[in-house]
Amino acid sequence: MGLARNILMIIILLTLVWAIFLFASYVITVTVLYTLELPGDTITSIARVVLGIIIAGAWILGWYKLTKLWLYKILLAGRRENHSN
Amino acid sequence: MLEAIVSGLLTFFLAPAAIILGRRLEVVGVDIHKPWRPIVPKTGGLAIILGATAGMILGAHASGFQLFIPVILSCLVAASIGLVEDLREEIDPRLKPLLLIFASLPVLVLGAYSPRPLIPFLGKTRLYRVYPVLVMASYPVICNAVNSLDVLNGSALLTSIPFLIMSSVIFYMRGDLQLLILSLIFLAAAVAMLPYNMYPARTFIGNSGSLFIGAGITSIAIMGSIEVAAIIALMPQIMNEMYVLFSIRGLKSAKNIGRRPVVVENGMLAASEDPDAPITLLRMICAGIKVDERRAVYAMALISAFAAFLGFLTHILLLGG
Repeated sequence: MGLARNILMIIILLTLVWAIFLFASYVITVTVLYTLELPGDTITSIARVVLGIIIAGAWILGWYKLTKLWLYKILLAGRRENHSN
Repeated sequence: MLEAIVSGLLTFFLAPAAIILGRRLEVVGVDIHKPWRPIVPKTGGLAIILGATAGMILGAHASGFQLFIPVILSCLVAASIGLVEDLREEIDPRLKPLLLIFASLPVLVLGAYSPRPLIPFLGKTRLYRVYPVLVMASYPVICNAVNSLDVLNGSALLTSIPFLIMSSVIFYMRGDLQLLILSLIFLAAAVAMLPYNMYPARTFIGNSGSLFIGAGITSIAIMGSIEVAAIIALMPQIMNEMYVLFSIRGLKSAKNIGRRPVVVENGMLAASEDPDAPITLLRMICAGIKVDERRAVYAMALISAFAAFLGFLTHILLLGG
């Protein structure tokens, strides 16, 4: 049961990360579509790319923080509770 | 489909020769997860390289050089870097990503990419200047990510196979025969190596094998324009590499990390509870329990299969197939 629980928990984590990826894509889409209405110049293009990188970077950082929380607060915490019982 | 059959059959029948060669040349490693710590040749990757390359050469001969030649060159560059590591010693982990950038050059120089990747909600983008940089970055990231999951018998192959099945299905649905053949060539080689690499492994695929497969997966994602589906499908590999990078704070060799993510007790794997130990996918699978190596690999494969399903779903629902 322990292994099945861990697999399920990792699958839930992956689903969450996937959902956050889609949300990040949506944020990029909304921002880029807004900037497309502005007059096109090099600075706007660079700003779009930088913004994309920042959002992608935030997704990766969020992914790592979520994983750390998942490992120590959920996966390993379950064992500590079992030991104390 | 002859190309995939050739790839699979050659890999399967060349593997015993690769094992003998590994023993003769003493290109071997210790299987540290078994109580009896067997010495195993790490030359199995050579059979994959020869089998898949033969399949791709056949593909190039039958249906044109444009698709297959950049992939062959990229994969061979990555495999050569892995081979140096297998034969001599681990390359400096700060230098290795830079060397793997060279694997992207055949695709870039031969222009075998479209700088218009599909992004969910946004649709087709125009990344004419940024895309080549992303291609250069993708080879070190994906190759190292596939390599980083090669920790247990059969784990690198069983976690790569779901991506290759996903890409094959996408190309089949798209009706792109050449890309379908390319995916099937790698899939056949990976499946053919399984009997030799699964528990208890008669051979490791080595860094040459895992970097070759990593370069193949990257090339398929770029040339098949399935970048986003690939990122989703490869989440287990990417997050395994990312966890290690973040948790050990930088690029370091596994040999130089004092704390291990998992401990082995009588052939059973258990997650380290040390807060400073690297966070890996295997550590998460083994968290709080003891798992035997075989079941841990199946767990990795199941998680990869789920990620590949999410990648497929993203491609079909959000990117319009």
